[in-house]
Amino acid sequence: MATERVLVPIEQSVTLRRTVGYAVESALDSAGAVELHFVAAVTNDERTPTGRRAVEDAEGLLDRVRAWVDEDGGESMTVETAAIGTDRYLFSPRDYADTIVEYVHETGIDRVILDPEYRPGASAPMLRPIEHRLDEQDIAYEEAPVERRTRRAQFVTGGGASRFLALFLVSVGFYLVLGDPTYWFDLVTGAVTGLIVALTLSHVTFPKPPQAVRSTLRTLRFFVVYVPYLLYEIVKANLQVAAVILRPSMPIEPRMTRVRVAVPGGLPLTSLANSITLTPGTLTVRADDQELIIHALIPDAREGLFAGGLERGIRFVFFGRSATSIASPEERGDTEIIRGEES
Amino acid sequence: MSLLSDVFLGAAAIFVVLAIALLYRAIKGPTMQDRVLAVNVLGTNTVVILALLAAGLDQPWFLDIALIYALLNFLVTIAISKFTVERGGII
Amino acid sequence: MIERLRVGAIVVLIAGGVFFTFVSTTGVLRLPDVYTRAHTASQADTLGAGFALAAVALAFGWQPTTVITVLLLFFIFITNPTAAHAVARAAYESGVEPWREDEP
Repeated sequence: MATERVLVPIEQSVTLRRTVGYAVESALDSAGAVELHFVAAVTNDERTPTGRRAVEDAEGLLDRVRAWVDEDGGESMTVETAAIGTDRYLFSPRDYADTIVEYVHETGIDRVILDPEYRPGASAPMLRPIEHRLDEQDIAYEEAPVERRTRRAQFVTGGGASRFLALFLVSVGFYLVLGDPTYWFDLVTGAVTGLIVALTLSHVTFPKPPQAVRSTLRTLRFFVVYVPYLLYEIVKANLQVAAVILRPSMPIEPRMTRVRVAVPGGLPLTSLANSITLTPGTLTVRADDQELIIHALIPDAREGLFAGGLERGIRFVFFGRSATSIASPEERGDTEIIRGEES
Repeated sequence: MSLLSDVFLGAAAIFVVLAIALLYRAIKGPTMQDRVLAVNVLGTNTVVILALLAAGLDQPWFLDIALIYALLNFLVTIAISKFTVERGGII
Repeated sequence: MIERLRVGAIVVLIAGGVFFTFVSTTGVLRLPDVYTRAHTASQADTLGAGFALAAVALAFGWQPTTVITVLLLFFIFITNPTAAHAVARAAYESGVEPWREDEP
């Protein structure tokens, strides 16, 4: 029996690991010999740093996939990995699809396994150009039956009475602040507008039902302790930065840093990232889970950031006093100065 | 009170001058992000100018416009930033 | 007496607002790359706008319009850093290299 060749196009995605696992498993289950091809489609864009990084990323990813295949018991399996498309400029999802179809024809692929989150060159999930092209060319494909963690999931969770009421009151309140609370017309239109807003957006605004008691305590801590502290930090650091900028020699030392913060995602992390940005001399550039990439303008600001005062403040607001006794990011070894190229 | 409104109008005039200076960065760039940033700062300045004029000319309804301007300014910055990265996938 | 104090506070706040906005403008014009510019654009500017709006709120005193001014203040304090972050992130993802003083 001839060897069956299976193609798995890959890119960084949440379901990639499980897709690889599925491909290996199905190869182990099948009766005949199977050759697995993992390909990453990368656009040729050598001129920009992102383009160069993309090629390196793809190669790193392919190495990881090889390791995963070994982990899943596919040591003896024939595995081919390749980065394709590096010789041309891929722009639209259709270009990526064409590249993959070409690879299929060149190497005589029998079957394609698709990662459900595979969306090269596109961010809109409505279009499925790869599936469409494969259909056109009569190439057999299947989507790996792995669980897809959609962000939409949290939009449809139930239990909305308190959310609805909260958003309704907030929107009517806002409407009446802008209008006149004693004029009947504004009251009626405000109620109607609030109703529409609450009906359409209550599930988007609050990912989970607001809890009155806990949020009151948090709000109190936030405004009484954290905001004055933050304002003091902002003014102090602003004066430092102003002194640096207004000096004719402008002695700045900008650095990209990476800090792993001990604050959970969601609202606490958002508050921390925004506070860091508000404090002069530090600017949150990226937030990947707990890992913040922060640009620091002057050494003083960098040291302040590594000492983790704001992090402690946020922990106090959300988890109370006991959570504040934590080593600073620098002591934990969670800080790092990175150069642009290595990021 | 007229002294105070003079102070407000004078401050508004300084803000206008600063806003015009910002136009240099908005035009020169060099990257798209520089321009967006300059326009964002310019927008914040406009909001402040509107608020100062509201106080200086005693026209409180200027503040409504300032509020809407602030909302739009934020939306524009976010939308263009996302657009420059994702090329078409704005939301 | 209280009226005098109020006028004094307003003048001081306006001076602070003008000063920090001036710093922010200088920064945006002088600094070498988009990340460093985003620093002043988000922070000095937020503080400058904050001072100026506080002065306006103080000038209006206790009346419904003050609520709008405070809302505006609050709103600017939340959106400005977010906008600066969005711009910096967009620059980072489109591969703009950060400037360093030791490699021109």
